[in-house]
Amino acid sequence: MKPFVAVLTSLLLSSAMISAQSFKVKAKGEQTFNFEDKMGRNQVVFSSTTPLEDFTGTANEISGKVSFDIANFAKTLKGKLTVKVESINTGIELRNHHMKSDSWLDAADYPEMTFEIKSVSDVKQIADNKLAFKVKGNFKLHGVTKEVVADAQAIYLDENDQTQKRAPGDLLGVQASFQVQLSDYDIDNAIIGSKVSQNIPVHINIVGSNKL
Amino acid sequence: MNKKQKTVLVTGSIVVVASLIVWLAYGGEIFTKTQVLVEKKDELFGWTDKQWVNKFVWGLDLSLLISAITAVISAALLFIFRSKKKPSELS
Repeated sequence: MKPFVAVLTSLLLSSAMISAQSFKVKAKGEQTFNFEDKMGRNQVVFSSTTPLEDFTGTANEISGKVSFDIANFAKTLKGKLTVKVESINTGIELRNHHMKSDSWLDAADYPEMTFEIKSVSDVKQIADNKLAFKVKGNFKLHGVTKEVVADAQAIYLDENDQTQKRAPGDLLGVQASFQVQLSDYDIDNAIIGSKVSQNIPVHINIVGSNKL
Repeated sequence: MNKKQKTVLVTGSIVVVASLIVWLAYGGEIFTKTQVLVEKKDELFGWTDKQWVNKFVWGLDLSLLISAITAVISAALLFIFRSKKKPSELS
């Protein structure tokens, strides 16, 4: 009898923990968030560090949608984000031009980078409206698709006076970070390693609304 | 080297050194920039965003360009101001 009680208790505890790892907010059911931001505040930030030169760049033309069930974030999260290569800015016009040329990202032939969510794991409840998790997805860059795992955090804000100043509806803020190895995406250039690093850390800060 | 040539040499050197001092004063960046990234806190979500703001940053490329132009002009002036010996002094 005792082992049965122990198993039952652990099952109940684990199911309680799983259900706890989702947003505790006013909204219920499936929610879809649109990340299109005409103000260009959503951004992807990337950086390169080499002995000769360090630089940071941004890309602001982001679009896409994600959806999930409030009651089961980890198992229901799906969606796709798209970033226009043309929106990359490194602060130097000539470098921007080089980055978008066929020697680097080839914006003419591959105008978009995409991230398509495949699965979510290691969900941790940081606050009632804040989750930390790992998200596995297909990242497509320069026409090549590779699976990456990003460390992510999501904050769910119920609609209020403050959120309405940003956008109508509930807001979902997402931060995610992952590494891009340029050679994995068939990006090869003589200055990789000396002026541009092979490994590029990518950081995403985006806010979506469920009423856009 | 005559007086005019010395003046050209000193002036050229001052321009080159000044351009390097200005470069260092702007932070010693390799490339000249007209935009820089600044961090801005997002009060709603509590994280930090990066924003481009228009700001001129003098780079080493600009200093090298100025130094190169100065060197060419100085060389030309040194040639123009060279001492021309009179025919009587030639023999």
